[in-house]
Amino acid sequence: AQTEEAEAESPYAPLLVETRPLNTRWQTDYAGGVQLGAGYTSDDNYMFGQYNGLYESGTTFIGNLRWQDFSESESYWRASVSDLGLDTREGELIWGRSDNLRVQVGFDSQIQVRNNSGETPFGGSDSALKLPSDWETGSTTSDFGQLEASLYRFDRELERDTLFAGVEAKLSENWRVDSNLSYEEKQGTSDTAGAMYVDASAGDAAFLPMPVDYRTTEFDLGLIYGNGRLNMEGRLDYSDFENKDDILLWQNPYRSRYPDSAGGMGLAPDNDQLRGRITGQYVIAPTARFQFDGSYAVASQDQDYLDYSVNPAASITEPLPRDSFDGEAQTGTLNAKLWLRPLKKLDVEAFYKGRERDYDNPRDGYRYIRGDGVSQPREALTVYNTSHHFISQTMGLEATYRMPKRSRLQVEYAYENIERENTAVEETKEDRVTVGYRIQPTPGFTTRIELLYGNRNASTYHWDQRYYALLDTQLINATPDNQRYINHPELSQYYMSNRVQERGKLDLGWLPTEHWNLNFNLLVQNDDYDKTYTGLRYAYWERYHFSASYNPSAEISATVYGGFDQFDSELMGRSFRGGNEKNAFEIYPPLPQASDPSRDWRTDSSDESVTVGANLNWKLTDKLDLEADYSFVDTQSDQKFRSYGAADVSPENLPSIETNMHHFVASGTWHMREDLSLKMDYQYYRYSSDDWALQGVQADTIDKVLTFGARNPNEKIHYVGVSAIYRWR
Amino acid sequence: NALGADEPGCLDCHTADSDSPVHAVFSSAHGNLNGGGAATCTACHGTSEAHDRRGRRNPPDVSFGPKWLSDSAEQNASCLNCHEKTGGKMLWLGSEHEQENLVCADCHNSHAQRDPSMDKVLAGEQCVSCHTRQRAEMRLPSRHPIAEGKTACTDCHNPHGSATDADLHQVTLNDNCYSCHQEKRGPMLWEHEPVTEDCSTCHRPHGSVNDRLLTARGPALCQGCHSAAFHPSVPYGGEGLPSGSSNQNLIGKNCMNCHSQVHGSNHPSGARLTR
Repeated sequence: AQTEEAEAESPYAPLLVETRPLNTRWQTDYAGGVQLGAGYTSDDNYMFGQYNGLYESGTTFIGNLRWQDFSESESYWRASVSDLGLDTREGELIWGRSDNLRVQVGFDSQIQVRNNSGETPFGGSDSALKLPSDWETGSTTSDFGQLEASLYRFDRELERDTLFAGVEAKLSENWRVDSNLSYEEKQGTSDTAGAMYVDASAGDAAFLPMPVDYRTTEFDLGLIYGNGRLNMEGRLDYSDFENKDDILLWQNPYRSRYPDSAGGMGLAPDNDQLRGRITGQYVIAPTARFQFDGSYAVASQDQDYLDYSVNPAASITEPLPRDSFDGEAQTGTLNAKLWLRPLKKLDVEAFYKGRERDYDNPRDGYRYIRGDGVSQPREALTVYNTSHHFISQTMGLEATYRMPKRSRLQVEYAYENIERENTAVEETKEDRVTVGYRIQPTPGFTTRIELLYGNRNASTYHWDQRYYALLDTQLINATPDNQRYINHPELSQYYMSNRVQERGKLDLGWLPTEHWNLNFNLLVQNDDYDKTYTGLRYAYWERYHFSASYNPSAEISATVYGGFDQFDSELMGRSFRGGNEKNAFEIYPPLPQASDPSRDWRTDSSDESVTVGANLNWKLTDKLDLEADYSFVDTQSDQKFRSYGAADVSPENLPSIETNMHHFVASGTWHMREDLSLKMDYQYYRYSSDDWALQGVQADTIDKVLTFGARNPNEKIHYVGVSAIYRWR
Repeated sequence: NALGADEPGCLDCHTADSDSPVHAVFSSAHGNLNGGGAATCTACHGTSEAHDRRGRRNPPDVSFGPKWLSDSAEQNASCLNCHEKTGGKMLWLGSEHEQENLVCADCHNSHAQRDPSMDKVLAGEQCVSCHTRQRAEMRLPSRHPIAEGKTACTDCHNPHGSATDADLHQVTLNDNCYSCHQEKRGPMLWEHEPVTEDCSTCHRPHGSVNDRLLTARGPALCQGCHSAAFHPSVPYGGEGLPSGSSNQNLIGKNCMNCHSQVHGSNHPSGARLTR
């Protein structure tokens, strides 16, 4: 009885899965170790090797080193390098003195490889893309007589190389200081697309290899104070981004409307940001404490403007309104929380979260040249850049009451207010109520339920606001009232429209025996944009996940897991033209297209994924360790359409897109001697997909878009690695 | 000096060859606490006089299991004595993990030469053993390199508590994204306002079935907010595939065949995000 009583009174303890690696002396008893060997990848790929550096067939060098010395009482050091033979290599060196001083330097390289099965006729150095000298232009891609002969493969690879250094020092019992400096280069080839056009309905587009040459320098300095009752951290962060290229130029492959026409795409501009931040906690009393985190940042960008057009035939009558943007975005945030324990079993939290982004920039008119054409439009077609001032504030209360059987009831109310400038909705207000209940009736079983109800109300939808903000008064005055809009007046942009949100979560944890841990998680969420006619009207998530872990001893651990995720949405639209057909308010037949409900259409989208996996860590004998991991992912995406009567608005359902991935990883380590082990690694990777955006799309399949003609990935990769590990004490 | 004569008697019983292999601590970052030797033990476990006298019957003052478990606040206080002021941990009290009664030792192994939770790959495995939805997402076709250990959960999230939603390191979600994607920070002449407001309007950070971590496929994703006259308002179905009309607004990069500057443009002719 006493045991039962003690068990009932014991505090709640989370049911955790043991994920630590095998507790072998090989991992704990040695000060250093070096691993050297070779790996072999069976084929070129870009899905298996997307991030791990194993994207090319052939042999790679395995080189890892870890060495540390904590034997000195005054100082210590630690050095490590890994993946020396790959583009994902990284390393760091740390030296410190007790807890007084810590200095760190290091490097980190990353690579991202994307679908490189495509081809392009564009060549050239830097950011000027040229076509072969014998290129035959045409009005559509099928007219490009030299296309086939001009295509060549290119790598879509981006490398990030970062150098970093940091220092942390204890100034006194209460004060510490730390500082970090990093320099990163991101280089390689990405891709984009650009179009030559005067009229949006007749663009001549091409996929373009895009050189990337970014440099980012970041520095921060922090001062930390703590006396147990008041802990505070003040920090200054500076980030400077520099892009070596400011424009991507490409030769127009189409039959030129204009002599020697070329396109010019503005690339990411240089920018920098300086931020000050203060974070802290003040313990007012054992039953009361206050947390705060405030920041103010200024991001600046003043890169010289490019010309309106790179087209040598372009005629500029109205110059740019200024030489550079001279823009600033000022972002302020404040998060604060007051925690109280008025009763032994009751906690109360009052919280506030605020964020403001002030877009502090000059507003000017731009008579921009459409798609690198030849002439500026008439003055009435001037467009204006607009400010997007944004402020959000959330405040609320949360109460937590602890009850018998390690149970806890939690109720939270939050009110969120968002104000936006120059958008269709000026203000949204949302009430959110969350109720959660957690119980651990026995030490080996936990249940948690959480329900959320949110109701967001949007102020009047100003469907004409964007028109007034972007365009010139001459054009506005010349446009009939019923056509003064860009997006259809029935549209509600979902991120600022009325919404009822319901969400439920269920988490179960069970330890049926000492060695087993079972988990089940369920999440269901329903977003109903209940006042929306056109736009996203409905979104629904359903997610089930389970895992079972078995840890009978320090020598073996195994886990199996699986999950199913589903996301459904319903999007409504209305197909319409401009001119007289753009009158969205006529109610008597014959209805213009914009007010004709028979021209409505609906897309029901569904994304599903199934994930299954298992892993095993097994210390077979004193001299042999085995590890194995298998994962399987299967996804399916569907888009089905519904139409409402108009003969020319009857879209067909799109075919399902399926992706399929198997990945098996195994390794065995044989500890031949005290100081020497032999390790074998094996990986099998299988991936395939049938995305209709790529399926059967050759470079010239689309009349007005010259693509890369990339294929869907279909990979079967084997990787074998053999290495020796030498250790020392 | 692990067996110094004038020290507590921890190491008299906890020998290097005993069942509980605690001696690895002397080769770790914690091996020289209080000058090393048995004083290292008492630095975290307390002076533990009762345990020193009758070790099999009395627990140490602060015990982290498996045989004896001190109260979670006591366990954490032992670690926070030194670590609370080392940055990023001052909001532990009241954090999500603290409210779940997690203790430092649930994730950290202070005796190991190299704490598994300081290793990106092993730490990630620890995180997803509870955060199972994220384990599934990070294996989807489009994802961050979390499984490869090149992006750690802790690059974005602070497991020791933060005042930002989802325990993010940075003050907003967008700032978290800009810490690696500075080229999208702007400000730009022509901004795409949902981009500056919330990256998650269009992207799922942990993984997605759609390319580029998108929440949905284009052109439907774009048409959720864009319904202008002519081509933006038209539905694009199977008739636009290569077996049909090979529609330029559906296949390839769909809307981004022309409007490729979706994160904003600084080109004077970039009002339509095509330059």
